[in-house]
Amino acid sequence: MLFTWFMLAGFIFLFAPQNITNRFQFVFARIFRWPLSIGRSVSLSMRVRQSLPDLVPRREYNQLQNHLANVIEQLNQEHKEVEKLSGMRIRLPLAGAKLPLADVIKVSIGGLHAGLIINRGRNDGLAKGQFVLGDNSIIGTISDVAYRQAQVRLFTDSASRIEVKIAGLSIDRLMQGNGSSSAKIPMVSTKYKIRVGDKVFARKKPGLLDAAIIIGTVTQCKEADGKPLLWDITVKPACDIERLEDVAVIIMNP
Amino acid sequence: MRWFRFAVLLSLVTVLQAGLLAHWNIKPDLLLILLVFFAIYCDTSEAVITSFTIGFAADVIGFVMGPQIISFGLFGTLLAYLHRLIAIRKMPYQSAAIFITGLLAGALAHFFTFLKGQPTTPNIYTVLIGTSLYSAIVGPFLFLPSAWWMRIKTHRFSGH
Repeated sequence: MLFTWFMLAGFIFLFAPQNITNRFQFVFARIFRWPLSIGRSVSLSMRVRQSLPDLVPRREYNQLQNHLANVIEQLNQEHKEVEKLSGMRIRLPLAGAKLPLADVIKVSIGGLHAGLIINRGRNDGLAKGQFVLGDNSIIGTISDVAYRQAQVRLFTDSASRIEVKIAGLSIDRLMQGNGSSSAKIPMVSTKYKIRVGDKVFARKKPGLLDAAIIIGTVTQCKEADGKPLLWDITVKPACDIERLEDVAVIIMNP
Repeated sequence: MRWFRFAVLLSLVTVLQAGLLAHWNIKPDLLLILLVFFAIYCDTSEAVITSFTIGFAADVIGFVMGPQIISFGLFGTLLAYLHRLIAIRKMPYQSAAIFITGLLAGALAHFFTFLKGQPTTPNIYTVLIGTSLYSAIVGPFLFLPSAWWMRIKTHRFSGH
């Protein structure tokens, strides 16, 4: 009888709407925020890092690289806008956006899913679908929101689908996370010249993103298995997501 | 059964799994190890309660509520009943129990997650096998500290 009641409770949890059941996860992250952050710090500090005192730290280098890539892409975009709409006033990208900073409470990377829980929620104007920035690059989107917390689905998560464009090309594709700290861009013809190191930008999306922002770099580009006319492109994040302690959420026209 | 100690142990293991081990690609599933431990060393009714509770904890640190409550609860209960027929006392048998339970519970949880509309990932089998194997290797060594904390005698055969 006990088993039956518990199974029934399990099925109720399974078929209940996710916006209700996610509250348990948010409550857990809120209650155990301090030990989770300690565990995360210990886990990250266990990795060996080589530091060269006279050089720029890797994180700062990534931030500057991403910022530069964003500026160049925005400049190109602005030039196209001027050519297309000459004579009309052009608003600067992200000029009307609010970028609240949020602390990362819990990180889940590796395994089947990739996501974060942050300490901003509906109370701060967050909503599902909004883009999240880490070190000046897109890392994912808001997948669920509670009153004071939100869940971020990283673009490397297997459920993630984000429209992207590769720098220098005029084609847009849907990038899919593959659950192993990277994402894939399918259906790209081999007639396009794509190299390792090419920047990948999240396409602008009305209401959510009004300028292309860097999301990752191409780390592998080879012919797709069984499809010699298509590329198999792997994209890695433009920043070290595991080391992020805070992120910014893009709220357009708050 | 010392329920307060169980709650403390479960909370600690859950936080460790979600915090310290969160960044590993292939990692041991400490909650799975705990599930098998209580299924082997507790009475059947206690094993049912602990199995579902551990499944709830596993879902809380996951992405979807429900799949692991059902899968952990089901296979923890089955393991508890199986232990009444076949004693799972030796370490190789415990490792095998952890590995098989991990594979079956993981596959069922993944099926329920898919049922709930979450897409699958191409490396699901690698993750399942890797996690189950890692847990099976590490698991039996964690039984002793768990038994010490819970004040359970590990040489006891809980046949009833």
